[in-house]
Amino acid sequence: MKRSRCISVFTIISVLLMIMVALNVMMGSVSVSFDDVINVFAGRSVDEMVRTIILNIRLPRIVAALLLGGSLALSGYLLQTFFANPIVGPFVLGISSGAKLTVAITLIILLSKGFNIGSVGMVVSAFFGAMLAMGFVLIISVKVKNMSILVVCGIMTGYICSAITDLLVTFADDSNIVNLHNWSLGSLSGMNWNDIRIITVITIICFVLTFLLSKPISAYRLGEAYARNMGVNITALRVMLILMSSLMAACVTAFAGPISFVGIAVPHLMKSMLKTSSPIVMIPASFLGGAVLTLFCDGIARTVFAPTEVSISSVTAVLLVPVVIVIMIKRREEAGSR
Amino acid sequence: MADYRLKTEGLTIGYDSDLIRDISLKVQPGKIMTLIGPNGSGKTTLLKTVTRQLKIRGGVIYLSETSMDDMSDTEISKQMSMVMTSNLTPEYMTCREVIETGRYPYTGMLGILSDEDKKIADRAVEMTDTSDICDRQFNSISDGQRQRVMLARAICQEPKVLVLDEPTSYLDIRYKLDILSRIKKLAADENIAVVMSIHELEIAMRLSDVVVAIGDGKILRCGSVDEVFKEDFIRDLYGIKDADISLLGVKPWIDKETVISKKPDASVKRKAHSIMIQGTMSGVGKSLIVAGLCRVFTDMGYKAAPFKSQNMALNSYITKDGLEIGRAQAMQAICCGMEPDVCMNPILLKPTGDKTSQVIVNGRVKANMSAKEYFAHKKDLIPDIVAAYEKLSKMVDIIVIEGAGSPAEMNLKSDDIVNMGLADIIDTNVLLVGDIDRGGVFAQLLGTLDLLEPHERERIKGLIVNKFRGDPALFEDGIRILETKGKVKVNGIVPYMDIHVEDEDSLTDRFYVNQRKAIDIAVIRLPHISNFTDFDVFDQFEDVSVRYVEESEDLCKPDMIVLPGTKTTIGDLKWIKEKKLDQAIRKHASMGVPVFGICGGYQMLGRNIDDPDNTEGGGSEEGLLLLPVDTVMGKEKRRTQFNGKVINATGVFNGICECEVTGYEIHMGITKPFDEVSEFTSDSTGHCSGNVYGSYIHGIFDKKEIVSGIVKALADKSERRVETESVIDQSDYRERQYEILADTLKKSLDMDSILKMVGIE
Repeated sequence: MKRSRCISVFTIISVLLMIMVALNVMMGSVSVSFDDVINVFAGRSVDEMVRTIILNIRLPRIVAALLLGGSLALSGYLLQTFFANPIVGPFVLGISSGAKLTVAITLIILLSKGFNIGSVGMVVSAFFGAMLAMGFVLIISVKVKNMSILVVCGIMTGYICSAITDLLVTFADDSNIVNLHNWSLGSLSGMNWNDIRIITVITIICFVLTFLLSKPISAYRLGEAYARNMGVNITALRVMLILMSSLMAACVTAFAGPISFVGIAVPHLMKSMLKTSSPIVMIPASFLGGAVLTLFCDGIARTVFAPTEVSISSVTAVLLVPVVIVIMIKRREEAGSR
Repeated sequence: MADYRLKTEGLTIGYDSDLIRDISLKVQPGKIMTLIGPNGSGKTTLLKTVTRQLKIRGGVIYLSETSMDDMSDTEISKQMSMVMTSNLTPEYMTCREVIETGRYPYTGMLGILSDEDKKIADRAVEMTDTSDICDRQFNSISDGQRQRVMLARAICQEPKVLVLDEPTSYLDIRYKLDILSRIKKLAADENIAVVMSIHELEIAMRLSDVVVAIGDGKILRCGSVDEVFKEDFIRDLYGIKDADISLLGVKPWIDKETVISKKPDASVKRKAHSIMIQGTMSGVGKSLIVAGLCRVFTDMGYKAAPFKSQNMALNSYITKDGLEIGRAQAMQAICCGMEPDVCMNPILLKPTGDKTSQVIVNGRVKANMSAKEYFAHKKDLIPDIVAAYEKLSKMVDIIVIEGAGSPAEMNLKSDDIVNMGLADIIDTNVLLVGDIDRGGVFAQLLGTLDLLEPHERERIKGLIVNKFRGDPALFEDGIRILETKGKVKVNGIVPYMDIHVEDEDSLTDRFYVNQRKAIDIAVIRLPHISNFTDFDVFDQFEDVSVRYVEESEDLCKPDMIVLPGTKTTIGDLKWIKEKKLDQAIRKHASMGVPVFGICGGYQMLGRNIDDPDNTEGGGSEEGLLLLPVDTVMGKEKRRTQFNGKVINATGVFNGICECEVTGYEIHMGITKPFDEVSEFTSDSTGHCSGNVYGSYIHGIFDKKEIVSGIVKALADKSERRVETESVIDQSDYRERQYEILADTLKKSLDMDSILKMVGIE
């Protein structure tokens, strides 16, 4: 791993991140000038509407995109480490869809009884769903060691969960449907500062804990046998990997619905940019990369057909599926050349 | 202080059930303990249990004096490191990073290496000589290098006990010795206790301080090399019954080698004598001269064999082992009375297109390469050539080597492996052959000599003027000029010979025959025609002409149309349609003219040719619709010799039913009838219907019964008389031709001086 390369990659990502933030603040169905943005942050007087748009609509959304995008990529990185499989991610393994299903069930049942479950409730129920899907995938992964079968099972799980969710949506009361429907497609719209607080807390905890796992993950790259020989507590590491990745995927799904492919593609993009798989670099890099990419995609989702919003999953799918395919082809070539 | 580093007490190991119970072993510092035993005896299971990849099923393992159960993960990892056989493929990890993971138990929360750690890693790198590969990706280095890196990683862990599971598997002898000597040094210098499983007994014998033999679900023996390596015990352990165990080496366990009875011809001589025949260009008759010399040497009582390092030809021969070599070498081997062997022609290039060739190494298809690719690659084939030559060298007394083309192709001379390059490798004398029939023989011979480097020129000990028509006495002036100007002796003037042996390749003159005789056979001259020696047998008939036809108007009124074998069936089938030959062939067939397809030609006669695996460019092509069969191209190439018979022949060739057929098959497809049709050649290798016959067998005409039956049927049909009584089997016919060839050479060449060049007085 080359220090100079790492520094330049991180610098590039940080600059991109700032550009993305700036663009996302300014662009949208109402364009805001750069001066106005400065004024808002400097506390100088501006049009009240502009202030509200920036502070209460765009800024929360940007922060959410940053944190959730980062979590999603990190979750993907952990899953890839856990399964030693390059083409897994929370969406592909059906974890996002599992979370979506339980959230949908909770929403419909509770809303019909007049309760409002609130953000924390959403996260808890999403986490429950994520663990359920993860458990299913784990059972399969113990039974079959084949990479592609694992992925196929994950995708199937995802489809089953989505199908049930759709079914529930079809028979839910009209009043719930609109809300649920938008959310189940994946969208970062409608974030408020209350949500952001919870997201921030969960994300920071997960990030720190994950970062502390970088040493055992580093050893785990040589496979279970060697890792154990180096003194890694394999069981503890595996439990932590599952908990962290599920929690992050659940958090994303609870607030933004399932967002596809960021989890698979970002770790690979970062790995090939950094030319190292050292977790101490990869963990922050994946997080930042996920943040930038999600922000970028959300920006597109908001602006291309403005004022109509496209679901962010559509954007990520269009942009990232080619990346995933290239990864798979490359892996095949490498495997073939060996 | 305990006298051991690792100890097991009453240890029980196994996966889901107990495999071996009550193992008590001790490994002392600085000593190497090896585990031997047959596959599946539990060596790896024991090592996996010791390294905690498997649960201890009973008993205790001690590291120094503490039970492993009472130690933390980190404590254990500071005491014991390992190298396993597993094939690691970590992404984007340099070798240095892999080595540094050995510092894991010693680093802090985030695993960042201190300067101290880095120094230790540097030392591990130094001890294993891995500094040059440190910055390379682990995935990009060879197996041997990987094993070294993994050893460095284990050293980096500063262990007191080192566990290795078959550290030498998959390694060639160089890396084997490398790794083992490092392990040995490590044990001695660092006082590390080493436990390793190993398959190679000869190594275990020389490396171990303590040997543990595992088998039958228990530890059978544990002790010094002398105690364990007893012949009877080792035979029992591995269940070796008859094999000669002394091949493992003598001392300390058996005193003397039992004499292995070698084949007599292998023990006669270490290395054969040799002579090389080079030509001034292709087609000067090198192959024939080599064949003739082979025969002359054989007649003199020597065991001779032909050799050509690289042959470019469309025609190949299938050896008994099912391997492909050049047809010329096969013919020359038969001249020597030898079974053709793949070591006589290690490299065969079969052109598949204008610029690409199928590269066949040691009889097996290696790849399709363009001329440029092959030129870059051919140097890598030298070891194959040398190995083949050496193998042949042990089988015979004299090897007659054939060059290729001209030795003075100045632009292609670097990395030459067929002419002077090969002569240098083998260190042999050379005879240079020029062709006077084509003219310019002085320029050919003297020009070639002139263009050679001095050391190459020295190898040329004689000149041969070939294909001389008329009285050789008239060429005396010529000889004098050649000898004074070329400063090399002229060995002989070989007359023009009208000899029918198997043609080398497309350079044959046969393609230009257009005289039509009483019985006229038209062979479609496919662009990628191959193995067309199938038709040589018809040379025996005065009144039969074999014409190669490219245009439909040239077909005239043939008595039989033959579709020969081809390298690319689908491509040539398209060519046939382009040339409108398909309509012409069908028209003749409908008029009752027999149509005979061999191999690729047989495939073309069918309804359809499918190429699902893309062996010939994919797709599907409609055939000539003359036989109710379908062909599916496959990836597997079928190469085999054939001995069978004609089961049933419909139509005019009814007379050849039950005739014996010998030959060979070489093709990449499977052809099956989809409708009622008679089986033509046995084993479903061919089918016929009416006057249309198809078979995969090359050489189908070679038996006299078949060829005379066919000619007779054709003659009867056109109510002509053709003499078929004197016809003999093609193999006998060829034998006679070889005799004529050898006699001619014996008369025209100075055999005494050639024997001197060979190195036999």
